[in-house]
Amino acid sequence: MIEQFCDWLVGTPLSLAFQSADWFVPLVQTVHIIAIAILLVAVYVISFRLVGLTHGPQPLATTMKKSTPWIWTMLCVLLTTGILLTITEPARELLNWAFRLKMLMVLALAGIIALIQWRLRRNPDYWTESAARRIAGRVVGLLVLIIGACIVTAGRWIAYV
Amino acid sequence: MAIQETLTWLQDLPLPTQIRESDWMFPTIETVHVFALVLVVGSIITVDLRLLGLTNRDRPFSQLAGEMLPWTWSAFSVAAIAGALMFSSKALTYFANIPFRLKMLCLLLAGMNMLWFHWIGTRHLATWDAATPPPRARFAGAASLLLWSSIVAAGRWIGFTTN
Repeated sequence: MIEQFCDWLVGTPLSLAFQSADWFVPLVQTVHIIAIAILLVAVYVISFRLVGLTHGPQPLATTMKKSTPWIWTMLCVLLTTGILLTITEPARELLNWAFRLKMLMVLALAGIIALIQWRLRRNPDYWTESAARRIAGRVVGLLVLIIGACIVTAGRWIAYV
Repeated sequence: MAIQETLTWLQDLPLPTQIRESDWMFPTIETVHVFALVLVVGSIITVDLRLLGLTNRDRPFSQLAGEMLPWTWSAFSVAAIAGALMFSSKALTYFANIPFRLKMLCLLLAGMNMLWFHWIGTRHLATWDAATPPPRARFAGAASLLLWSSIVAAGRWIGFTTN
């Protein structure tokens, strides 16, 4: 089923046009990497605060509010460039377990970021209000750090598996 | 000729040989390099965008730079070590590769831009720390954005020209 879809997609005029331009994949991958760089630093600054490794000068809710547009914009850029790369080389991505794992982790990361944002929007002190919440914040922050690193790892291993 | 001999000697050392011949060592080191580079570029872009007056305008520049610099330097150290290991495994190939040379040139220029900004761009910092940076600081921010984007592009280009 997926194989057939890949066979169809790779022969579409759009895919053929992308494949014929040698510069297309490196350029789109460059934008993809810059977008993940901005996204990862934005979410890592927040997760370091949650884990308790740094203590920023601003309240966490303020930092999150400022980072929100960047985080979601970069996720959109990643999605768009990812789709372009998949159209160009469908089998390389869609039939690859590292790619599938990456997609699952991107979804998990987006869900956790949305949860952190939602809680902070309703209550700016949510993650520091009690000892239990601080522990929960540490767990969530650590998850974001690990998932972020795993996304980059899976992304690179797409080329090798 | 001396360079060729040195590079041959380097890539024939036990560790570079092991990296080259192993199925998993090169991809693993490359993953560490990319992850560290992503953190370097992300933290530098955050500071560059503040210099250009596009983000964090309500935060003093020195405060934001102070928060980001530890990220930049620690990640850069990791990226440099991993990059050196990757280079050593195929030293002759990388040395002859144009995108690799371009990447090194951009890295050198980015370093010079940073030094220039540190010595000249931050003059009278107190007068603009919490406001819009002066043209010289904005120029340094724009140059840094351009150079680091080029470093990423050249780095990706290497992958398409060395296999």
